[in-house]
Amino acid sequence: MNPRALAVWVGAVLLLSLGSEDPVFRALTLGAALAVLMVRRRPGTRLRPALVMVGAASLLTVVFNFLLSHTGDTVLVTAPSWLPVLGGPLTLEAAAYGVDIALGLAACIVAGVSLSLVVEPYQLVDSLPAPLSRTAAALGAAMSLVPRLGQSFAAVREAQQMRGWRPRGLRSWTAVVVPAVLTTIEGSVLLAEAMEARAFGSGRRTAQAGSRWKRGDLAITATSLIGVTGFVVALCLGQVPGWQPYPSLTLPALNWWPALCCLLLFTPALLP
Amino acid sequence: MTEVARFEEFSYRYPETATHSLENLNLDLANGLTVLTGPSGSGKTTLLRTLNGLVPHFHGGHASGRAWVLGHDLRGTSTRRLAREVAMVFQEPESQFVLATVQREVAFGPENLGLPGSEITDRVESALQAMGVHHLSSRRLATLSGGQRQRVALAAALAMRPELLVLDEPTSQLDDAGAASLRRECQRLCDQGRAVIAAEQRPGRVAVEGVRPLELSRGSLTEPGRHARETVPMPLRRPQVTGGMAWQLRDLMVGHGEPVAEGIQLSCRRGEVLCLTGPNGSGKTTLLRTAAGLLPPLSGSVQREPGRAAYLPQEPGGVLHQASVLEEVRQTGRWLKLACDPWPILSEFQLSSLAGSDPRDLSTGQRQRAALAAVLLGEPDMVFLDEPTRGADPASRRLLAQVLDRLAQAGSAILLATSDSHFAHQLGDRVFELANGRLQLCEEMAA
Repeated sequence: MNPRALAVWVGAVLLLSLGSEDPVFRALTLGAALAVLMVRRRPGTRLRPALVMVGAASLLTVVFNFLLSHTGDTVLVTAPSWLPVLGGPLTLEAAAYGVDIALGLAACIVAGVSLSLVVEPYQLVDSLPAPLSRTAAALGAAMSLVPRLGQSFAAVREAQQMRGWRPRGLRSWTAVVVPAVLTTIEGSVLLAEAMEARAFGSGRRTAQAGSRWKRGDLAITATSLIGVTGFVVALCLGQVPGWQPYPSLTLPALNWWPALCCLLLFTPALLP
Repeated sequence: MTEVARFEEFSYRYPETATHSLENLNLDLANGLTVLTGPSGSGKTTLLRTLNGLVPHFHGGHASGRAWVLGHDLRGTSTRRLAREVAMVFQEPESQFVLATVQREVAFGPENLGLPGSEITDRVESALQAMGVHHLSSRRLATLSGGQRQRVALAAALAMRPELLVLDEPTSQLDDAGAASLRRECQRLCDQGRAVIAAEQRPGRVAVEGVRPLELSRGSLTEPGRHARETVPMPLRRPQVTGGMAWQLRDLMVGHGEPVAEGIQLSCRRGEVLCLTGPNGSGKTTLLRTAAGLLPPLSGSVQREPGRAAYLPQEPGGVLHQASVLEEVRQTGRWLKLACDPWPILSEFQLSSLAGSDPRDLSTGQRQRAALAAVLLGEPDMVFLDEPTRGADPASRRLLAQVLDRLAQAGSAILLATSDSHFAHQLGDRVFELANGRLQLCEEMAA
């Protein structure tokens, strides 16, 4: 998938999931984001950590809103008033609103995660426009340092364990953390030296090849832009219904126009 | 002969150091191949760094005298300007990688030169072909072996098509095929009238017709070949020891998820030295780590008798974190509760005079020796060393051979993974080659 087409699609998911508080539209955009992540992720990438993160963030959102809102007619349980902040009625409406916020948040996170799981991070960096090419290269180098720190930590821990080091309390970890950080810092200096020695910043920079656009990429970009435009127009014309669960919970209204715009976001998952 | 670089009374010392790394250097470098030798810490890397201006522009410090590279006065020419004509491969190639995948990494330099996309593609492909890593072009660098990374680093330098190619220990992790590819490329560049200068501990691996030898000692030029003549002799092969079984690998399949080698049957007795050789990327490190118990096998079994195992990783920097070499060796004693005097092993590795130095201030070869001293303190029952001769000068290789010989005689079971096949055949009781996923016995010392 072309990284620029993906970036347009991610932008569309963000806009549509945050553009209305209606849980139907948010659920549709989340469904689209999940479908694309499942179908389009790179081989060998692990989905589980991302899904655990999304699940945890969503759960926390619902729980926090349920415990802290204290608004709504349908009281499920009343927390003792002596409990600071938590004391008061805990309502069905607060829980429902928490779910609504969690849907929007989850859609945004899944779309963001797809940037690193669907294409290689360097492809995104490379797809930045030519005037930003130096920034892009520096960003690419910085991004490569993050996994290096992890690798360095694992290698040092392994080597020190073979020398008899055993984790005994927080202080003992300095034997691993200090050399891992020092190695990474040293690596950063060497990287700066290598970039200098490889003529980085010596003049105009070019790119080997821009990412190629295929028909599918054009279709993804077009449907994302149509979806966004349609949704914004519907919003301006008052065709996107708002939703508020307070004071009493009501079912969200459904309007086919913005719903269709959300459904267009499934395009990347449906294309071969 | 065309003059490529000229040094007149050139001296240099790094910041916050009292001693000069280069002292009163007078040198003319011409096109063709120059091979630079000398013991660890003699100033080879520093001299190479002056050729693209990293010394003194990037490192700071104090320089005196005059130097010109490709007609540019070193004082007034920045590294980035020189880098358009001078390409360099660093001693630790993994530290010079900027981007994540092989193809992108090799393209980085030509992109900095502002070349058209089609030319960059041509250069990248021909450089990858030249170093025999074309099949790895879409791989992530993190998944490559040390030798494969070294080949990629060389390809990245070749893609710059420099007037002067500077190579710091370019074959330290290369197999024989990789060294032959490099030699071919050096010859081609020399035939085109360009210049190549390589610091190399095994000069024969890069030498081409008309090579000019150059030797440094304590920052000054000296008579070529002197260092090799002064080094301690290699130990004589000891009588084969047949102690009890130390470890055994049965029908082993190894790899990181995907198998890289299978059907491995291997055992090591106490007092035995096994050497593991093979082409770059064949899985030597993976097999060594599995035997050491650091990586679970995909199938089969690893049986190890109880006892202490010493392990040296391919990148020794991870071992060193104390403020001095002496403290580093003492730290192993503290962790393992060994009542060992650190001085004998420091002396064996000729590190006594560097005992108070910060390990990170040492040259690569000295660091390697410090890491070896730290892991080999005492008499470990099992020893697993990954590329222990990386960056080591002939003297250091002989010192290592002597220490391993002593340990073997004391009953240690030793396994080395090395691309230095000469060292392996000199030292190993049995030498194995790992290639195409299979382990094969190459040489066995007669009992």
